Amino acid sequence: MRAIDLTVEICGMSGDGTIAAGALLNAAMAKTGLSVMAFDTYPAEIRGFGRCVTRSRIGDESMVALADRTQVLISLDDEQSRSRIPFLEPDATVFLDSRPPALVAEGQSLAAHVEPENSLIGVPFGDLSSQVAGSKRSKNIVALGAFAGAFGVPPEAFREVITVKFRSKGGKVVDVNVQCFDAGYRYVHENHPDRVTGLLSPKEGAGTGDRQLLSGSVAISRGALDAGVKRYFGYPITPATPIMEYLARALPERGGAVVQMEDEISSIGAVLGSFYAGTRAMTATSGPGFALMTELITHGVMAEIPAVIVNAQRGGPSTGLPTKTEQSDLQAAVFGGPGDSARIVLAPTDVCECYRYTAGSFRLAEKYQTPVIVLTDFFLNNRVETVTLAPAAEQEIADGNVYPDESKKGGYRRYEITESGISPRSVPGQEGFTYSATGLEHAETGLPDYTPENHMSMSEKRQRKIAGALRDLPAPEEFGDDGPLDVGVVAWGSTFGSALEAVLRARAEGMKAGTLKIVTLFPYHADRIRSFMARCRRVLIPELNMDGQLANLVGHLNSEEVIRLNRVTGVPLSPREIYEKIRELGG
Amino acid sequence: MKTPGRILAEKVAGAGASGRFSVRSGNLPIWCPGCGYYGIHQGINDAIRRLGLPHHEVVTVSGIGCAGRYPFFADTYGLHTVHGRALPVSTGVKLANPKLTVFAVGGDGDGLAIGGGHLPHICRRDVNVNYILFDNSIYGLTKGQPSPSSPTGFRTKTSPAGTTEAPLNPTLMVLSYGATFVARLFAGDPEGITAALVEGIGHEGFSFFHVYSSCVTFDKEFKTWANLNRRIHPVPRDLDRGDRKAAIGHVLDDDFSMGVIYRA
Amino acid sequence: MVRAMAERHFVVIGNGPAGNRAARTLREKAPGDRVTVVSKARQSCYSPHRLPDFIAGRITEEKVLVCPYEAYRDERIKLRCSQEAVSVDLERGQVVLGHKEVVPYDGLIIAVGGRPFVPERLAPFGDVVLTLKTLEDAKAWIERLEQVDSVLLVGGDLTSFSVARALIHLGKKVHFLLDGDAFWPLRADDELLATVADSLSGMGVDVISDGELKGIAALAGGGYEVQVGDWTVQPGMIGAFCGLVPDVGFLARSGLRIDRGILVDEYLNTGFPGVFATGDCAQIYHPELRDYWVSVGYENALALGRTAALNLPCGEEREMAEPESVFEVKGVSLDTSWWKGF
Ligand SMILES: Cc1cc2nc3c(=O)[nH]c(=O)nc-3n(C[C@H](O)[C@H](O)[C@H](O)COP(=O)(O)OP(=O)(O)OC[C@H]3O[C@@H](n4cnc5c(N)ncnc54)[C@H](O)[C@@H]3O)c2cc1C
Ligand SMILES: Cc1ncc(C[n+]2csc(CCOP(=O)(O)OP(=O)(O)O)c2C)c(N)n1
Ligand code: SF4
Ligand SMILES: [Mg+2]
Repeated sequence: MRAIDLTVEICGMSGDGTIAAGALLNAAMAKTGLSVMAFDTYPAEIRGFGRCVTRSRIGDESMVALADRTQVLISLDDEQSRSRIPFLEPDATVFLDSRPPALVAEGQSLAAHVEPENSLIGVPFGDLSSQVAGSKRSKNIVALGAFAGAFGVPPEAFREVITVKFRSKGGKVVDVNVQCFDAGYRYVHENHPDRVTGLLSPKEGAGTGDRQLLSGSVAISRGALDAGVKRYFGYPITPATPIMEYLARALPERGGAVVQMEDEISSIGAVLGSFYAGTRAMTATSGPGFALMTELITHGVMAEIPAVIVNAQRGGPSTGLPTKTEQSDLQAAVFGGPGDSARIVLAPTDVCECYRYTAGSFRLAEKYQTPVIVLTDFFLNNRVETVTLAPAAEQEIADGNVYPDESKKGGYRRYEITESGISPRSVPGQEGFTYSATGLEHAETGLPDYTPENHMSMSEKRQRKIAGALRDLPAPEEFGDDGPLDVGVVAWGSTFGSALEAVLRARAEGMKAGTLKIVTLFPYHADRIRSFMARCRRVLIPELNMDGQLANLVGHLNSEEVIRLNRVTGVPLSPREIYEKIRELGG
Repeated sequence: MKTPGRILAEKVAGAGASGRFSVRSGNLPIWCPGCGYYGIHQGINDAIRRLGLPHHEVVTVSGIGCAGRYPFFADTYGLHTVHGRALPVSTGVKLANPKLTVFAVGGDGDGLAIGGGHLPHICRRDVNVNYILFDNSIYGLTKGQPSPSSPTGFRTKTSPAGTTEAPLNPTLMVLSYGATFVARLFAGDPEGITAALVEGIGHEGFSFFHVYSSCVTFDKEFKTWANLNRRIHPVPRDLDRGDRKAAIGHVLDDDFSMGVIYRA
Repeated sequence: MVRAMAERHFVVIGNGPAGNRAARTLREKAPGDRVTVVSKARQSCYSPHRLPDFIAGRITEEKVLVCPYEAYRDERIKLRCSQEAVSVDLERGQVVLGHKEVVPYDGLIIAVGGRPFVPERLAPFGDVVLTLKTLEDAKAWIERLEQVDSVLLVGGDLTSFSVARALIHLGKKVHFLLDGDAFWPLRADDELLATVADSLSGMGVDVISDGELKGIAALAGGGYEVQVGDWTVQPGMIGAFCGLVPDVGFLARSGLRIDRGILVDEYLNTGFPGVFATGDCAQIYHPELRDYWVSVGYENALALGRTAALNLPCGEEREMAEPESVFEVKGVSLDTSWWKGF
């Protein structure tokens, strides 16, 4: 049982410093040793106007999903914050500016809209900021002070992160902001002593806050760096751009390079070229860019060239919903492109897995001479979590290439048919092993060959190779118990966390529920999935897409029709929705 | 409370209420305040008005980007396509119904990077489409990465050490591709845009309008209003607008002259 | 004032027994109109008179909260908790709230009750002396009582007796410094004081009736040393019960006539159309006495709240505020019908 499980939202208009305040809150809470999972939404449009909301779940144990409801709302703009009221827990605490610059008409204050059960804490954010900083700009920092004061967060934690944030702007800016924080903190103690709780004050034996606060995008980048990636080729697209931004700084420091290409076709092209020449490379994109890449991805399949491609999904189809989360590229990732073009597709479910499976994908790509797709989504890329990254294991990132034996010099057959389907691959520079890789169907030598027998045996070889990769790929994990289950939830990607939380809740209430996490989407562990499904009375597959794409992929492994829970609301599936479905099915 | 966002919202609403944009749709542009695109918007609207084109016989085809949002803000038929594909789609529209006045609009990333491969071919085909390239030399919508028309050494989050690539010169490119009407314009001069458009729309064949614009939010370095205002000047009066060689020669020498440069 | 067609907005300031009853009556009588209750209290309507039992541990917090939030929602009464009225503009018909929101009204009932009165003599010791009016106050009492064995009560108002009884119930030693000044709005005479002292002693309270508070000193190990006349007592904590004063400071510049409370006629009207005052904060004209009287007490507050609400919506039906038994003590008339404590 968690002693602390608090979801805090900050909501304002762009320009209010909402996102910055959220980042400071997350960093400070991590400093005090608590766990954080946070996800922001900001205006989808061009910088300008719109609502910004940061949502941080803070707990004394690490968590797997965002919470359904919010316990604390900090309003930096009452009009914007009104939209958040439906998400509030009945007894939520609401911080608002108690001294707006001018009188407002009835209904324009958030106070007119909160439920009477809410605990309202009025703090003159703007006035205090003006007094201390000479402008209202630091009202977001005042608000953080008020929050810290009311919930017993040690002020040092905030002072430290404020100092780090403003350091580059000079000592004066740091001082003023620390003072603004203190002013908010003091104000609550002096004017709302009855609201001061120690809920978030550090507990005996709490962690020291040595964990890192990482987003999925940064974890992916770190994974690639630790695997020794040397080249990044990409084209900006939300939500994958932060990976390119991170690597643009980090890669050159390690002797690598980031090249912004003219589009996604050229990006994947350059990645294939790089791997062909023996250098680890990657690209990251989202649906529209991924669609453009498919032809060359199948070229990688046919010519047996490694590649690592991150597809951070967003709402689709077409340009879709660039800033909303969705899981609707599963089929494109697994099947997209012409021909029988099996490739490896991995879908991490949390920030740690983003790191681990990105790092591991390079060796897999090399060993199986195939494009590997790391399928994430907007939510997973953009959310931050407190994590402790175990450095990638040596055997997971080691050189996966199988080079031809020197003895084969002279008679080298690049696409030699082997039992495993893996044919040793030479790399330009290796003397005596020249060959031409081609997207045409080819014979063992690499020369075009369209004969029926050849196309058949080459297709079998490629299929065998990918099927054989299964033993190297993360197996499905079961949560629950070994016995018969009333409801088994099969989930993938960022939805898995919500599924797990829902299942834990259902189990706590005595329901026989369990869940299966599927990371490897292709090839897939049919036996493991089938045996899990076989002990479930009902199988539920929740996903953020309309088609039921995982259900389409693995549903046939169940003896009955699987039950689908499909949502495309642009926001993560909430644990509650899955939980309610489990209840409905279990009863 | 007067947050920057609120001030902006008011400004936009004010601009709308002023009635300056007569061809404007009910949707207010979502561009940042100060963005050059407002000027281009005005220039196009005035051209449509001056020519008396019925709005329902105008189709605006765009790609993706801040510029690509254009069709939503015009009371014409619009076709907001995918990133980089405005030109082939506009070709389809024009060939389907030649009576329509067709605009293709989009940013420099849209038209020169991902869609760059289409540019030579619409010139070759000389399709009667009016292509307005909103060139701010940056990727605005994706929050500020270098584009093919960014200068060498351009610093952004994806090019922290500055770009190493040389910029493309779109005006020069279309001249060499054989475009039959070429103008270079400035977002800060809506009247100049209107004048060139009025002429170019009347031109039978592909018309290219290369509009220099400023991304006030993400570019603090290169195409800023101050830099552009300081450097732009009219195309010399004595340039022979019918001489492609002369036009190419002029464009090679001068990056900042504004006006009609070539007409076949 | 009376607008027939359009939806009217009735605002009630205060969510004590009087305000709550007023709002519910308004809803009953004016089903098509909007009713808003503005309350500076954090919680829903609670009944101050149950606080002593709450302190004694005899009832739970839910029992103190006499009107669940759901009831407001069910009755479509907009309840604004933790929001304080800071001024009333009678001319424009607006209430201004602390966070600068301007709430227009078509009818207004002021039911702000009272706040504990701390006499000047006690003011210097203000921060060590607890009072009791709100639920938060009661929680502070409970917290402190966990650590102390004895309590000194100063004053002797209408509420102190139930508090003394609660403390005795908890097994605390109670010293009572009976103070003639403390009977606001009464001035107690010797006879009254003697009766009270008897009654308290009968409960097991140590009554100090002839001393003057000279000084309070905090002791190192917690608790206080209190000098009363020639006596010294060492209570763990100190409480002041010197009556309630109408909480009407925010109306000082409103134009309303205020004496011991907001002056209203026998129909609880302030003299301004559509503006009424009721409950503990009102000082009410009695046509037979030809004088004003004040109300204290839960039942009275309920009845008065209802009366104000009946008179407000149409302004035609006229309901008189009728005290059950008005006493006159030293020039002040007072309904003491509830006061059966001794
Ligand atoms: C400890 C104690 C014991 C008592 N014991 C008894 C008893 O045994 N029997 C009995 O009959 N009576 C008793 N009483 C008295 C009784 O509780 C009161 O007479 C009664 O509550 C008065 O009701 P009211 O609605 O007029 O005012 P209140 O109950 O005082 O309510 C007024 C409300 O208005 C709110 N308010 C004040 N100012 C503002 C503002 N500016 N803006 C918004 N809201 C505001 C306050 O927060 C409060 O909630 C006792 C009182 C106390 C304090
Ligand atoms: C296939 C594809 N790749 C990437 C993107 C992301 N994207 C949207 S707009 C844009 C570039 C915007 O720059 P530009 O074309 O110059 O237009 P501006 O915003 O500057 O007007 C990019 C990369 C996309 N929508 N589709
Ligand atoms: S981001 Fe730049 S190009 Fe886009 S609207 Fe804003 S200023 Fe204009
Ligand atoms: Mg651009």
